[in-house]
Amino acid sequence: MSADAFLRISADLGNLDVVRRFVRENAAGLGQNPDALQALIQAVDESVTNIIVHGYRGQPGSIEISLEEAEGCMVIRLRDEAPTFDPTAAPSPDVTSPLEQRPLGGLGIHLTRHMVDELIYCPGPAGGNELRLVKRISRPPDREG
Amino acid sequence: MEIMTTQEQGRVPVLVFHLKGELDAVLGQQLRQQGRDAITAGAQHLLLDLAEVPYIASAGLRAFQELFTALRGDSGEQGDKAVYEGLRDGTYKSPNLKLLSPTRHALEALSTAGFDMFLEIHRDLRDAVASF
Repeated sequence: MSADAFLRISADLGNLDVVRRFVRENAAGLGQNPDALQALIQAVDESVTNIIVHGYRGQPGSIEISLEEAEGCMVIRLRDEAPTFDPTAAPSPDVTSPLEQRPLGGLGIHLTRHMVDELIYCPGPAGGNELRLVKRISRPPDREG
Repeated sequence: MEIMTTQEQGRVPVLVFHLKGELDAVLGQQLRQQGRDAITAGAQHLLLDLAEVPYIASAGLRAFQELFTALRGDSGEQGDKAVYEGLRDGTYKSPNLKLLSPTRHALEALSTAGFDMFLEIHRDLRDAVASF
C-alpha cells in the first residue's frame, strides 16, 4: 500500500510541531470532524515523543511517518530504528490513585489508546519498530429524500 | 510556545502562568523549569491559565504532577494521611495549584488522566484568584 503522504524527521523534540502540522495538513479525510483530527494529532504527538524519549533516549536517529486513507480509516504508520519496544503491551496507569503516588511514565500510551480506534505494533523486519495508529473516519449521515 | 507570568493578589499572592501553544514535551519542559524556578523563589500559589492551549500532551500533565508535588511540600505524616483520605473520598483538591479556562481538548486530557479529581478548574480569573 502506498502512502498518501510521507515525512521523515530526526529524533528531536523540536520537530514535534512539524509532525503535528504534517498530520493536520494531510489528514484531509478527517477534516469534516475536527475532534477526530485533533485526537489523531495528539495521538501522533504522544507516540513520536515516546519514540524520541524512550526509544532513542537522546541518541541520534530518525522517524518515518506515513499517512494513508484506507477502508474508511485514516492510518498513520510510525517507523523507527530504536531498540524493539511494544508500547501496546504497556499497562495502563491507575488514574484514580493519588497524583503524587503515580509513576511519571505510562500516561502517554494511556492517552494515545483513548484518542485512536486501533493501535497496532509490529517489530520491524530488520529491527526497529512500526506502530500503526488507526482512526475511523465518521462522515455526516446522508440526507434523506 | 510561550509562558507569560503575571502576579495577582487575592487573600494570598497568586502567580499566574499564561500558557500559549500546544502543551507538548517542549512546552512541558519549559513549564517544569519555570515552575520550579518560581517555587524556589518563594511562590506558593500557582494558577495555570490554559485558555490558549489547544491540547495537553502527557508531558504537560507530568509537569502539572511535578508542580503539584513541589507546591504541596512536606506536610508531615498527619498531613499526608488527611490528603490521602481526601483523595480517596474525592474531597481533596490542591490548595496550591489550580487551573483556569482549559479548552475542550485540554479538559478531555485532564479528565482521561484523572487530573480533574485533584485540580480545581475555574472559568474566571477573579474567581480563581479569590479561591486561593
